[in-house]
Amino acid sequence: MKNGTRSAPRTLLVLLGVVALVLAACGGGTASTAPTAEPTEAAATPTPIAVTPEPIETAEGGLTADGKVLIRWFVGLGTGAQPDQIADEQAVVAEFNASQDEIVLSLEIYQNTTAYDILSTQIAAGNPPDIIGPVGFRGFYSYGDQLLDLEPYIASSGFDTSDLDPALLEAYAEGFGGQVGIPFAIYPSFIYYNKDLFDEAGLPYPPEKVGDQYDGQEWNWDTLTELAKKLTVDKAGNDATSAAFDGSNTDQWGYYMQWTDPRGWGTQRGAGHVVGADGNAVIPENWVEAWQWYYDGMFKDQFIPDGTENRSDLLGPDNAFQSGRVAMDFVHLWYTCCVWPADGEPNTPNFGIAVPPSDGGTTTAKLHADTFGIMEKTAHPEEAFEVLTYLLNNDTLIARYGALPAVKSKQGAFFDALDARFAPNEINWQVALDMLGYPDVPSHEADMPNFLKSDAAIKAFQEKLITTAGLDIAAEAEILRGTLQGLFDEVN
Amino acid sequence: MTSTPREAALPGSVVGQGRVGGGIARREALWGYAFISPWIIGFVLFMFLPMAAALIFSFTDFDLRKPDEINFIGLRNYERLLSDSAIAHSMAITVRFIAITVPLNLGFALGLAMLLNSQRVAGKNVLRTLFYMPIQIPLVAATLIWVGVLNGSTGWVNRILGIFGLQGPDWIADSSWVLVALALIGIWGVGNMMLIFIAGLQGVPTELYDAAKVDGAGAWRTFRSVTVPLITPIIFYNVLISFVTSFQVFIQPWVLKNGIPDDSTNLFNVNLYREAFVFNQMGYASALGWVLFGVILGVTMLLFWSARRWVYYAAER
Repeated sequence: MKNGTRSAPRTLLVLLGVVALVLAACGGGTASTAPTAEPTEAAATPTPIAVTPEPIETAEGGLTADGKVLIRWFVGLGTGAQPDQIADEQAVVAEFNASQDEIVLSLEIYQNTTAYDILSTQIAAGNPPDIIGPVGFRGFYSYGDQLLDLEPYIASSGFDTSDLDPALLEAYAEGFGGQVGIPFAIYPSFIYYNKDLFDEAGLPYPPEKVGDQYDGQEWNWDTLTELAKKLTVDKAGNDATSAAFDGSNTDQWGYYMQWTDPRGWGTQRGAGHVVGADGNAVIPENWVEAWQWYYDGMFKDQFIPDGTENRSDLLGPDNAFQSGRVAMDFVHLWYTCCVWPADGEPNTPNFGIAVPPSDGGTTTAKLHADTFGIMEKTAHPEEAFEVLTYLLNNDTLIARYGALPAVKSKQGAFFDALDARFAPNEINWQVALDMLGYPDVPSHEADMPNFLKSDAAIKAFQEKLITTAGLDIAAEAEILRGTLQGLFDEVN
Repeated sequence: MTSTPREAALPGSVVGQGRVGGGIARREALWGYAFISPWIIGFVLFMFLPMAAALIFSFTDFDLRKPDEINFIGLRNYERLLSDSAIAHSMAITVRFIAITVPLNLGFALGLAMLLNSQRVAGKNVLRTLFYMPIQIPLVAATLIWVGVLNGSTGWVNRILGIFGLQGPDWIADSSWVLVALALIGIWGVGNMMLIFIAGLQGVPTELYDAAKVDGAGAWRTFRSVTVPLITPIIFYNVLISFVTSFQVFIQPWVLKNGIPDDSTNLFNVNLYREAFVFNQMGYASALGWVLFGVILGVTMLLFWSARRWVYYAAER
């Protein structure tokens, strides 16, 4: 009898052990006791915002059941996944499919935060899409060696590249081992400002021309600092120039640099690159200066929202200028996508654009560029190229992406469409065109050795800066340089 | 041969015919296998085979973006992790996280279970449901809610602390508080553990409490000398599961830090995910996965070994 009863707890122990081991093996399970027990797979699960409504059956060789060529278009590596962009992308696909009896275009849209992981997984599974984009240089550097050289298809199709900036065309060939992209969109950067907040403070708007003064003073970063402090207001109504200002209760901020990283921050004081001429890691001095200024703006003068404030209910979760609580935002033309909410009343209905301040007489406006690429492993390169040219020439997409067409003859129509969209607001788009003359060369998105890890290290550096007060920025920059050097050495 | 009551009830032609009895047993076994086969098939397809694949990958330089260029590299991934400072660091943070979260979760769940098992509490079923409900919320959504609740500037926690004149920390941004924030999020989901504790508490014979009362034992003494020893198998189970799941925590730190973990949130599984899906080093990440498996296996064995000394099974005494 005793033996019989002893076996029950032992069996229980064994069963518990089995459960524990299965859980250990499988990354969670049903016997979880807390949220910590949720299967890790959940986070890795692709998050399709919208996909082709019904899965398209494919037969051998990427053909649909009725013998058409299936071309998959992967969106999410850059812009394109904002809610108000999706409907237009779907309409463009529907229009293309309606015009076709040989090709079926299938759209896959993913959130930017997961898109890179999903694309890598698709490639690993032998199931890559045919076309990726729109995607900036960061995406091209991540997948550059996976992209098809378009040169033969450009030549055989007679695709006209004469209306494109040769330097931009070359940017998609240099370092990639082929012409992996054709310029589609360019995004100069400038300052978006909230006219209502300026009016409320009784302050004149910032200049619209490089070289113009602001209220009788040179339009430089010191002037912007003073202006931004006047536009930063706490809940009691004190601005940041007042001794009574309470930075822990800020209600409105004077300046922000949205959706960029420290390499983007650095360009406020001119272009630079973290890779020196000898291939070693280097942090440009002008960037350290820019980082110090931006850091002081967050934690000392407090006219720039720090990480916590940016993720608070007041500004968040992720579109500070749209909240109506930021007076000036230095960001790219693509932000026209999102300066207003997709639905509902805009918090910032009345905005203008201005030139960035100069640094010692030099103005720098970092430049972004987007395009599409064809994956090298596509089974149907010619059909994919046909779709690619359709996307490149699509006016609906370029307007919705807030993208200045790389094709010069289309630029006027693009701004007309923006005017219609933001009417009755009158915006001086000449500012955007002028800023094309002040790009950051080398680009802040330039390639780096061990790109993915180096990029992650820079983002981790940013996260530390926006969330931690009391840092020695010069020392942090040196730590970053050391980290980057280590990462460069891994591949050199 | 002694007939079981069931055999005795069978017709005479069946009783004593081992082959027929064996046939029934076999049929029952087959039905049993048939019923559990969906789980077995699911386990083999979606867990065992991926694990086996990961083991193979761990001996390769598999890059997600270049599946055609995979090479066998022997133990190089395992050698690499020995010299990878990020691994030691991420394991150290994970251990620190476990040190905070396991006792906190166990204590909170047991306290709740005691409370909701008390005769003096009204509406116990409603309260049990309410405390259980949070684990029904998808973890990503729950964590996003907590991002707002714990925001150092506008979060509810700091607003409530502010009412009492206390300046709350920046729970998520401050590296010295973020593990506590993660533990707090964990506490929100202790409903399942609480239910298991309640089941254990209800299994404690009431006559033992009566005897303790007669002997003059107070509430604390009764808890320490009657309740705890008799629920040690349940405590053991919860400790075990809590350890295992805490080693595997991933979603909360990933969402909390917006996919950009810093030194304080780069837990082992977060680091593993980054290697696999951000840096595309699937071979190395697979090695990390198997190391994690080994660590969890070791801890599990250690817990089972220690259980002999502190887990009390009444039937064994």
